[in-house]
Amino acid sequence: MLLAVLIFAGALAVIATERVDRTKVALVGAMLVVLSQTIDQEHAIEAVDWETIGLLAGMMLIVRVTEPTGIYTFLAIRAGQLARGKPFAVVLSLALSTALLSAFLDNLTTVLLMVPITFLLADALDIDPIPLVLIEIIASNIGGTATLIGDPPNILIAGATDLTFADFVVNLAPIAMVAFVVVTGLLYLFFRKRLQIAPDARERVLELDARRSIEDMPELKRTLPVLVITIFAFFIHGAIGVEPATVALTGATIMLLLTRQTVEEALRGIEWPTLFFFVGLFVMVGALEENGAIKEVADAIASVTQGDRTAELMGIMWVSAIGSGIIDNIPFTATMIPVVDQLQGAAGSDDAYWWALSLGACFGGNFTLIAAAANVAAAGMAERAGRPVGFMTFLKIGVPATLVSMVLATGYVALRYL
Amino acid sequence: MSPQTIANTVRREAPLLSHNDSLRDAADRIMAADVPALAVVDDHGKLLGIFGEREFIGALFPGYLTTLGYAGFVPRSLDEVLEKRADCLDDRVSKYMNTEHIDVDDDVSDTQLAEIFLHHRVLIVPVVERGRVTGIVTREDFFRALARHLFDLS
Repeated sequence: MLLAVLIFAGALAVIATERVDRTKVALVGAMLVVLSQTIDQEHAIEAVDWETIGLLAGMMLIVRVTEPTGIYTFLAIRAGQLARGKPFAVVLSLALSTALLSAFLDNLTTVLLMVPITFLLADALDIDPIPLVLIEIIASNIGGTATLIGDPPNILIAGATDLTFADFVVNLAPIAMVAFVVVTGLLYLFFRKRLQIAPDARERVLELDARRSIEDMPELKRTLPVLVITIFAFFIHGAIGVEPATVALTGATIMLLLTRQTVEEALRGIEWPTLFFFVGLFVMVGALEENGAIKEVADAIASVTQGDRTAELMGIMWVSAIGSGIIDNIPFTATMIPVVDQLQGAAGSDDAYWWALSLGACFGGNFTLIAAAANVAAAGMAERAGRPVGFMTFLKIGVPATLVSMVLATGYVALRYL
Repeated sequence: MSPQTIANTVRREAPLLSHNDSLRDAADRIMAADVPALAVVDDHGKLLGIFGEREFIGALFPGYLTTLGYAGFVPRSLDEVLEKRADCLDDRVSKYMNTEHIDVDDDVSDTQLAEIFLHHRVLIVPVVERGRVTGIVTREDFFRALARHLFDLS
C-alpha cells in the first residue's frame, strides 16, 4: 500500500508544480504502479472509468464539429452587443453566456471560445480585458457546476454513480445560479472603475457584424439540430434508460455522419492528452483502492467525524474546495470518489455526499490559477494577447470568489440536506 | 542539373538580426534586404530564431487574433484601435521571433527544403555552418528556381 500512496502523492506533487505536463505525470504514475505490480494489468484496465472517457470524447467531438460553424462566436458577439455598452450589462451578459455555455460544454472549451471574443470586445470598448476574463473564468467554474457534463468533477462523479443529468440539475443548478448572481455582482463592484466605457466605444461594438461570424451556414443547419437534441437527450437520459456517455457518443456519431469534415479532421478535436491524463489517473487511484489506501482514508474520516453526517458533508465539501485549489480538481475528485463512495455507502446510500463533493471540487476550481484546466487555458491566452494573468493576480480574485460561493454552498447544503 | 544544384543556387547572403534589435530596426533591415525574414542570433552569433513579415504582423496585431480563427465580422473602426499598439516598435525582436528550430547546413537537398517549406510556417530557412549563420534560403527564391528548372526541362 505504501508504494501506491508514494507514487500517487509524488504524482500529485509534480502535477501541482505545473513544471511537467500533467498527462506525462499521470502516465508515468500509472506505469509505475503496474510495473511494480501494485496493481496488475487486468485490474488496471478495469480501474479505468470508460463511461467518463466516452462522455468526454463524445463531447469533444461534438464541440469540434460545431465550433468551425462560428455559432459560438456568434453567441459571444451577440451577448456583448446586447449589453449596448453598459458596463454592468457587459459583465452580466458575458458572464451569463460563459456560465450557460459552460453548463453544456466543458469549462475549458467555453473559455477557449469566449476569451478571444472578450479581448476583441474589450478592444472595441477600449477597456481593460483582464477583469472580464477573470469574471468569465469564475463564471465558467460556477456555471459548470450546474450539470452533469459541465465540469470534469461532475463527469467523474456521474461515471462512478447512477446519478442522472436531471439529478445534477435539480440538486446543483439552484445553488450554482445563486452563487453566479452573488459572485458576479461582487466582482462587478470590485472591478467597476476599470470598466468605464466611453460613448463612442459603444458604437464600435455595435458595428461588429455577428451574422458574418457564421462561417458555414449549411454545416450549421446540419449540425445544430443534433447539438440541441443531444442536450435535450441529456435531460431525459435517466427516463429513457440511456447512459450519458451513450448520449454524447450517439450525438457525436450522428454529427460525424452529417458533417462535411473528414473523420480525421473531426478526431483532431479530441484532446487526447486529457483522455490519457484521465486514464493514468484512474489506474493510480485503482492501485490506491486495491491496496486498501482509500478504505484507510475513509475509515480515518469516519473515525474523526464518528459517523456524524453534518461533519462528513461539510468536511467533504470544504476539504474538496481547498484540495482542488492546491492540486487540480480532476485528480482530487478522482481520489475522493472512492472515499466518498464508502462514506455515503455507510450512511445508507446518501446522494447528498456526492453533491457536497461536486460543490467543493467545482467551486474549488476558482481557488487558484491551477485549480482547473480552464483557468490555465485562459491565462495562457491572456499571455499570448500580451496581458498575462499572474498566479497572485488570480488568487486575489479566486480566493474571495471561492469563499463566497462556498459559504453559500454551505448554507444550501445545510438547508436542503441536513 | 541535379536537384542538389537547385538548393545551392538559391542560397543567398543576408544580414543578421541581433536578439536585442528593436522591431523598428528589424523591419527596416528586412525591407532593405528585400527578404521576407532574417535570422536572429545571440551575442555569440548562435542562431536563436527567425523574425520576419509574419512575426511583425503578429507583434502589431493583438495576440488573440490568432485564436479567433476568423475575423470577417470585425468592422473597420477597430483598425484605429491598432494605433495604440504602435509602441511595440520599440520592443525587442526576441519577444516575437519564431523560435521553431529550423535550419539547414550547406549541403541541404531540395527535398529537405521542400519538406521544410511545406511543413513549417517559415518564409526563410537559415543556413548554418560550424554554428554560424552563413546565409538564408527564401521560399520565394526556392519556388522561382524550381519553376525555372522545370520550365527548362519541358
